[in-house]
Amino acid sequence: MPESEDQPAKRSGLLGLLDTLREVMYGMASHDMTRHAIRTRASMEHLFILITMGDLLGVPILPPYYSLRLLPYVVPQISTWKRRMLREKDLTDAMS
Amino acid sequence: MSNGATPVYILVGAVLVLSAIMAAAGLGNTLMAIIVGAVVVWGGYKLYATQIDRKVIQSDARRATPARMYMDGVDFVPTSRNVLYGYHFKSIAAAGPIVGAITAGAVWGWLPALLWLALGVVFMGWASDYSAIVVSVRNDGNSMSATAHRLIAPRTRMILFVFIFFYLLLVAGAFGNIIAGELTKPTVPLGIIVLAIMGVVAGQMLYRMKLDLVLTTVVTVGLTLVAIVVGGLPGSPVAALFNGLNGAVDGPAPQGVFQVLNPLTGKMDPVKLSFLFWLVGGFVFCYFGAVLPIWRYAQPVNYIGFWITALTIVLGGLGAALAVFLNPKVGTFAIPAFKGFMGQAAAGAIQPLWPMLFVTIACGAISGWHALIGSVGTARQIESERDMLPVGGGAMFSEFTLGLLSLLAIATVAQGSGAPAFAKGMAGFLSVLAIPPEAGEPLASAAFVIIVITVVQLVFRVMRVVLVEALGDRAPIFRNIHFNTLVSMLLTFLLVASGTWIYLWQLFGGANQLMAALSLLLVTVWLVSTRRNPYYAGLPFAFMYLTTIAALLVTIYNLYATVIVPSLGQAGREFAVAGAGAMVLVALLLVVAALFIGYDGWQALQRYQERPPRVAQAPAPSQ
Repeated sequence: MPESEDQPAKRSGLLGLLDTLREVMYGMASHDMTRHAIRTRASMEHLFILITMGDLLGVPILPPYYSLRLLPYVVPQISTWKRRMLREKDLTDAMS
Repeated sequence: MSNGATPVYILVGAVLVLSAIMAAAGLGNTLMAIIVGAVVVWGGYKLYATQIDRKVIQSDARRATPARMYMDGVDFVPTSRNVLYGYHFKSIAAAGPIVGAITAGAVWGWLPALLWLALGVVFMGWASDYSAIVVSVRNDGNSMSATAHRLIAPRTRMILFVFIFFYLLLVAGAFGNIIAGELTKPTVPLGIIVLAIMGVVAGQMLYRMKLDLVLTTVVTVGLTLVAIVVGGLPGSPVAALFNGLNGAVDGPAPQGVFQVLNPLTGKMDPVKLSFLFWLVGGFVFCYFGAVLPIWRYAQPVNYIGFWITALTIVLGGLGAALAVFLNPKVGTFAIPAFKGFMGQAAAGAIQPLWPMLFVTIACGAISGWHALIGSVGTARQIESERDMLPVGGGAMFSEFTLGLLSLLAIATVAQGSGAPAFAKGMAGFLSVLAIPPEAGEPLASAAFVIIVITVVQLVFRVMRVVLVEALGDRAPIFRNIHFNTLVSMLLTFLLVASGTWIYLWQLFGGANQLMAALSLLLVTVWLVSTRRNPYYAGLPFAFMYLTTIAALLVTIYNLYATVIVPSLGQAGREFAVAGAGAMVLVALLLVVAALFIGYDGWQALQRYQERPPRVAQAPAPSQ
């Protein structure tokens, strides 16, 4: 998979090894914490979108005026939100 | 699989020959075992796993993974393989490989434990972890239960949930016993109490005060380490204080409140009030982890615990590798290579090597839990299909080395068994690096308790979620997090109070290995449905399935013959009978669930062999 343009080129030699070690240590120590923080924020955001734009998923929402005022801010997240809300989930998803 | 099979035979031969030389020529030492481990990791990965990845799975870097297709910045995020390897290893490595290896070494000797760890990871362990990720990646990032629902049968998902609940209950029981046993030592509690306090402090520093992670780490990990060492110094005022506390707690019943059978020695051991006191103390620690917001307590505690255990394990591993050169006495095996096929067991109990060894050592050789976690957490972050093997397989081979290190720790200690022997062995390895045993032993003990207790607090957290999902609609009280956490702890207390720890551990191993068999069955069905060679997963499935059912039946017999029958109607042994009865019921339930899964799996295999498969469309190459 080619590297995207915004990713720095991988270093070689000892520096590359140090980069690898740094990434592995980050993965062991902190990646889980980062993921959890991101998920917490996403859950809040998605809940907010649900109560304002729920009619996009078929949930009837009464005050469309505020929905329309908020719509421009929500547009970038709509596809992600829809996918996450409608995705089939079960107990095991809570363990990830 | 006929292609490329010869190098695998050579690998197996090399492992067997090296192990036989170690056992027969009296060359049992840490260096030889590490050489066997290196041969296993290198050979298993290069000669076998890579062949399967290239020829059977045909991983393709150009094929879009779910992380790339559904990138949402939350669950589906393409992640560097190095980060993901560390994340997956941390997710799967807990107390399982440590406790399993030290228990098996004590029952059958070091040689069978070494061989099962080595051959198990080469032929089954990596295949289970890696394949669970592959199946998820090739099925839109769906979890194992969702894929089983579609590929095998709808009820397979429900059976999996049953497995998960009892697995969690058995983990909590088996580990709760270890926690209470270790905390009764006066040198251990201070470090764990300070860990709990530092967890709250770290959460406050990171998330409320927004302080730097490095500063938070240095302060909290440093203070916890100081507390562990200070509290562990023999004769210190802190140790004397906890000794006095234990004595005061035991005061009303110095001979213990009830008697339980020791399944290894056959003697009746007293259960003292101090044991129950520290069991409740461990539960209080876990209670906060289960009910508080995760950032407030459980996560920072895990973070601090990670650094302490990583420090101990890395230094211990280094010491084990250098011991033969710097201090040969420390590196020489002191326990017998083989204690016989029937192992060490109480009169009336049976511990045949087959099938019991294969459930006593679960994680480290193969584990169903890894597959479950891999399919929901790791698979959704895989950036390229070529990362599936280094992440899934690589992490499993790394866990094998953790199991191996634990085995070495107890193999080099002549007296004692279990956690104390592990701490002594690790202290020996640390002494090779000039860390005095007075500091090394409490550090190893604390690291061991930390690994166990951080797992149990998360287990209770997941158990309360399971109870809400299962019973919340029928009985609204189960939606109360305090109530369902206390119910989980009460059930766990009952299992621990039965006192027959090794049976509890073997039941946990049985549940775990049955989950591994289910994972391998799912992989086999998927391989058949996509017209691939299924044998690399199918043969391990058949072995684990039969072995685990046999092990559960043996455990039921042991519980009946050595706990229930001798204890019935005897005063003071009601807890033992109730706990053993509960374990028998759990074991029977697991056997019945396994039979359903086997039947459904067989039906699914027949279905896919008879008619063209209906599988999820593989995503188109990204470019």
